[in-house]
Amino acid sequence: MTTDKATSQAQRSRPETLGKRLLREHAEVALSSWIRLWRTPITNLLTWLTLAIALALPGTLIIMLNQAQGLANQLHTSNQISVFLSLQTSSEQAQAVAQQLQQRTDIKQVTFIAADTAMQEFSLASGLGDILQSLTDNPIPATILVEPQLKSADAIGLLAEQLRQQASVDQVLIDQLWLQRLQAMVHTSQRATWVLATMLALGVLLVMGNTMRMQMESRREEILVIKLVGGTDAYLRRPFLYSAIWAGLMAGSLAAIIMTLALTLLQPSLTDLASSFNSTWQLHNLTIWHWLVTLFGSCGLACLSALLTVQSQLRQIQP
Amino acid sequence: MIQLEQVSKRYANKTALDHANLHIPRGAMAFLTGHSGAGKSTLLKLIMLMERPSNGRVIIDQQDLSKLNGNQIALHRRKVGLVFQNHQLLEDYSVHDNIALPLKVSGYNNLDAGRRVRAALDKVGLLSKEKQLPRVLSTGEQQRIGIARAIVNKPRLILADEPTGNLDPKLSAEIMQLFEQFNQVGVTVLIASHDLSLIERLPHPKIHLHQGHLSGAFIGSN
Repeated sequence: MTTDKATSQAQRSRPETLGKRLLREHAEVALSSWIRLWRTPITNLLTWLTLAIALALPGTLIIMLNQAQGLANQLHTSNQISVFLSLQTSSEQAQAVAQQLQQRTDIKQVTFIAADTAMQEFSLASGLGDILQSLTDNPIPATILVEPQLKSADAIGLLAEQLRQQASVDQVLIDQLWLQRLQAMVHTSQRATWVLATMLALGVLLVMGNTMRMQMESRREEILVIKLVGGTDAYLRRPFLYSAIWAGLMAGSLAAIIMTLALTLLQPSLTDLASSFNSTWQLHNLTIWHWLVTLFGSCGLACLSALLTVQSQLRQIQP
Repeated sequence: MIQLEQVSKRYANKTALDHANLHIPRGAMAFLTGHSGAGKSTLLKLIMLMERPSNGRVIIDQQDLSKLNGNQIALHRRKVGLVFQNHQLLEDYSVHDNIALPLKVSGYNNLDAGRRVRAALDKVGLLSKEKQLPRVLSTGEQQRIGIARAIVNKPRLILADEPTGNLDPKLSAEIMQLFEQFNQVGVTVLIASHDLSLIERLPHPKIHLHQGHLSGAFIGSN
């Protein structure tokens, strides 16, 4: 091809619209940064894994605690009062107490669990049957489960106090109190998890920032030449931003996979734990929504970090 | 094309330019001479906006450079072709990609960039080396690739900083011929060089820089 022919052809080429040009440039850079990722796959994989673990740890905790809070809220409707009779109370006396309670207008329902029945249930559930049989006395008291008519905390508190005054009553437990404690615990754990998540997000920002800094340092010469031939900061920023987006997507996907695995491993034991509280509660695994939040969150953190680092590095690298 | 008005450039322990005035008209070709360290590079850096003057104004193609900031600096640099002594080619870019760089930053698509790159390679006589890596080329060839990169964007001004510094006399003469060819089609060329034996044989105006003062051609207050 001769010089003149080449030149005139170049001049004749149809100009692109700005939108088309930007779209093409972004597609080119996105592709070339993707290809560049695989020049150093091991290093990148290790970085992604580091980021993924930092994201997966608080992520798993948040998902679990949110569901535990759902459970606590759901149990909140229970107003049951457990009345434990003293060990000296005979079976007949205990039944008499139960019947007496059933007469009260402020009590909706009474469930009587005889000491023997409680013992049988316990030895079955605990698997300590043999040891328990060797005992001469039954250490488990007769229990009366009381469902109050009124649902307000005050009314329940008053009723519990009256029950406590009764002869042959040893101990009265309000389930609600226990539930309040459970909720407080869940709340505290949630707070702690968010603090942890914030710290780990900062860690992600720093790791990503450092990775960007090293990438730019290794391409210092290239940045200098591009600046000298008239590359704008936006042009120079682009490949690094795309590499951050890719890193964010990879780390986010890995984090979601790690979270799925962790929840799958925890599921059976948590289901057992819930069923010991007579609950059919089940830990649900990641939904599509969780996946999206993880991917976008990870990408967002990576981009934020890249923007901050790249801008300051570009100012420092001057021809 | 190149206009310096009372330009001074002082560093911590030396003065590179002291109230310098210069006016190189459009389409001229000139040499900037002076011993190494005299401040020739500083003058080129001021034109490329790699440095800012301590005093005075630098005006390129009727544009006052002191008014340019941010992206305007990048846009200004696109209008000037720069040739370095050590050619500054990127080792992991092919010859084609090195030359295409000024076009890529201006948003050329691959097709148009490819045509222009081949045209530039054709002008420096290295069309066959398009796909090679710079390190397999000879020093003279590398310098010509650097020149191809400087002209690929069709700048109206070419600056060269010791372009023949690493070359033997025969190759140096060839490089100078290339610059003369560009000048013949209207490009303004300013070459900084201390290779007096070479430039004294060439019939172009010389500007001399000594202790921050300019003398020779194109001097005076506008």
